[in-house]
Amino acid sequence: MKKVVEVFLLFLLLVFTPHAKGTGNSPPGKPTLNRCRSPEKETFTCWWEPGSDGGLPTTFALYYRKETSETVYECPDYHTAGKNSCFFNKNDTSIWVNYNITVVATNALGSTFSDPVDIDVVYIVKPNPPERVTVIVLEDKSWPFLRVSWEPPHKADTRSGWITLVYQIRVKLEQEKDWETHHAGQQKMFNVFSLRSGGTYLVQVRCKPDHGFWSEWSSTSYVKVPDYFHREKSVWILIMVFSAFIFLILTWLLHMNSHSLKHCILPPVPGPKIKGFDNQLLKNGKSEELFSALVVSDFPPTTSYNYEDLLVEYLEVNVPEEQELMLEENKDLHDGCLKSECSTSDSDSGRGSCDSHTLLMDKCGEAKEEERQTDQERMGTEAEDMVSPDMSSGRVKTWPSVFSPLPQYSSNTLDEQSSLEMAKQHYLSDSQFLPSSTSSYLTQPGHGTKEALGPSYWEFCLSNKQPHLLHPQTQARQQLQAHSDVDISSIGRKQAPAGLQSPLLRPTEYVEVQRVNEEDMVHLQPVVSGCGQNNCSPQMPQGEDYSKVKGVDSDNVLLLQRNMMEEDRCPCEHQETNGVKENCYTSSTVTTTQKPTAMPVQDEMVLGMNGYVDTATMCILPTY
Amino acid sequence: MKNVWFPSLTLLCLELSMRVGTAPICAYGQTGCHVPTLADLFDRVIQQSSRMHGISSDLHSEFEQYFFPSKNLIGKRKCHTYGILTPDDKENAQRLGREQLTEVILRLLGAWGDPMSQLYQSMSRDQNQDFNHYSSNKALEISDMVHELRDGVAKMTEKMKQFGVLGNTVGNISPESLVPSSALSSYTQGEFNSLDHHDLLYCFRRDSNKVKNYLRILKCTTLPGLDC
Repeated sequence: MKKVVEVFLLFLLLVFTPHAKGTGNSPPGKPTLNRCRSPEKETFTCWWEPGSDGGLPTTFALYYRKETSETVYECPDYHTAGKNSCFFNKNDTSIWVNYNITVVATNALGSTFSDPVDIDVVYIVKPNPPERVTVIVLEDKSWPFLRVSWEPPHKADTRSGWITLVYQIRVKLEQEKDWETHHAGQQKMFNVFSLRSGGTYLVQVRCKPDHGFWSEWSSTSYVKVPDYFHREKSVWILIMVFSAFIFLILTWLLHMNSHSLKHCILPPVPGPKIKGFDNQLLKNGKSEELFSALVVSDFPPTTSYNYEDLLVEYLEVNVPEEQELMLEENKDLHDGCLKSECSTSDSDSGRGSCDSHTLLMDKCGEAKEEERQTDQERMGTEAEDMVSPDMSSGRVKTWPSVFSPLPQYSSNTLDEQSSLEMAKQHYLSDSQFLPSSTSSYLTQPGHGTKEALGPSYWEFCLSNKQPHLLHPQTQARQQLQAHSDVDISSIGRKQAPAGLQSPLLRPTEYVEVQRVNEEDMVHLQPVVSGCGQNNCSPQMPQGEDYSKVKGVDSDNVLLLQRNMMEEDRCPCEHQETNGVKENCYTSSTVTTTQKPTAMPVQDEMVLGMNGYVDTATMCILPTY
Repeated sequence: MKNVWFPSLTLLCLELSMRVGTAPICAYGQTGCHVPTLADLFDRVIQQSSRMHGISSDLHSEFEQYFFPSKNLIGKRKCHTYGILTPDDKENAQRLGREQLTEVILRLLGAWGDPMSQLYQSMSRDQNQDFNHYSSNKALEISDMVHELRDGVAKMTEKMKQFGVLGNTVGNISPESLVPSSALSSYTQGEFNSLDHHDLLYCFRRDSNKVKNYLRILKCTTLPGLDC
């Protein structure tokens, strides 16, 4: 048994012994000195890296030798700086002295020296990072910037000048990855410009002695930059709004003055100026009217004209002197006569001039004004309506006024042939103040004699279209009209009491000329059925031919003859120039030159009125 | 002749008229020149020393790269300025006082004037083309700067004496007392090799750093401002 145990133990020994030797009990590996650093140039620390330990616990020792002496010293402090380090305090540290340091690793089997390292503390200074780094945001003329300030590490004595540190700052936005580095020199404050608004910035500082190593970066300081971009944007918005406003104003001004600008830039080409040339007519395309304006008055009319339209419209009427005087009392010359709207332009190119048209015109104007004053509102439009269709009918252009006031006659007293010649010689005036005249005249019968005399007048309607030419002739016309009016009215009145109602009831009849037959007879036709003059019966049928022109006697008197249809044939059909059968109601003929016996009218031309014909002022063509 | 005469006259007139209003700088305040303040002097001196140190560092690192990559030959040198006792600690330096600190600075600067010019001469004379032209120029620049800096510090010392900051004992230093003659003699013999160059540069680099640091300490104790 013992033998077995011994053999077993021996066996165990044999087994384990070589094993124990095999794990490498060797002297330790060679340590290496990593680095030596001094934070303030007053102390320094060296660190080493141990080699393989050789399987045995290894101890390290650091030995150093100063340049000036041969004495070898060991590291005074192995623990302050941590493991595998040696800390040299102030007493052991000499500046500008070369240290020769060696580390020795020792284990049971041996020791190993590291390679010696020569250091001079001046050149191994690596300070601590700057302390108390503060970052604030300041504004420079409404643009923000960062002000970074710090303090040197508290161990480094820069105050006495023992160490001189230079600093470095780096800045970056939170979301970016690249830093922006700034060199600050020896100052302890730095401004960072060109910031992005609304961002968060990271700031770090580090330092270095003038010959040494850079310190570590300080801890990060975060700072948020306020939003100044909105202010910038609002300025831009303001500028845009302002410029848009100015642009609008300019556009509006341009638009307002576009016409004048157009004149400036593109001046209109001056066109030809021809007297009487109306551009508007040309534009309208009515070349007829346009060229007719250019036509000289005595230019012979073309064949296209309707000769009927060119009837002579004027009859010369000799007004007795007394009436002239009476009429002259009413001295309101008015321009109304001339202002009458001879609106319808008749195509009558003929334009004659009466020698005595001045007389006629004056009378016309005078009387007309009075008429107007009294009864302007009455029947003005009505009469006008009556007149204008006559005018436009083309049959009798220029004479409606002649035959009105009592009845309205279309002055178609002449046929075409004679009308031409008449046109050449017409005197009078103009026209259509029919409304006033007619209206005034219509109401005349209701009034007294004087009244009838006074305001009554007729007017001629000029065949021409330029009433203003005849302006100076209004006087004559008025006179003439007045005379004739008087005559007519007197005539009418005389006849009236013969068998009719009161003068008040005596109506006036309008007559329009229906036609002119070849025998130079004017067929008249009553327009309004009123109390007829001749018969003065309300039942006077319309559509009755009033009268037809019988002829013109030697005294240039137009003889009218009433053309009775069936009954009511006036026995007095013919009336001589000098005779007026006033009692004949049904007399249909009225001579223009009929003298009213009731009135001391001495004018030769009397328009005997049974309400037919108002021929007060007529120009009678001798030729027809 | 006429063509040359007129432009030259014009140029002369222009030059006279274009003189800017800055007056030349003078140390003693003669009329017509701008006298720098003590702060200005300090700033200039410190800048100069810093620049000098930078150039020497560059030169030394060049040497180390090209000639001594292994760094095995370091440790046996002795700088010729070892005789100048310099404070190797902040406390020591602060304990020294202004006058002594100024003296140390002046001594250091005085000790390096000649060796640097000799270094330059040796480097430019080298037939092996070991040094490129750029390096020899740096050596020349350093030697010039040493001289300028010494003059500048001397002027500054005078100014400080005027202000009563420094006592009157400063500045009366003879060049020979600064550096032991034995050390200097080896340099004057002109036997420089590349090893010598390297050692020289190493020593100078350190001494220029000392000068720079001492000047800064001097400034901050004399004129404490926002730089300190």
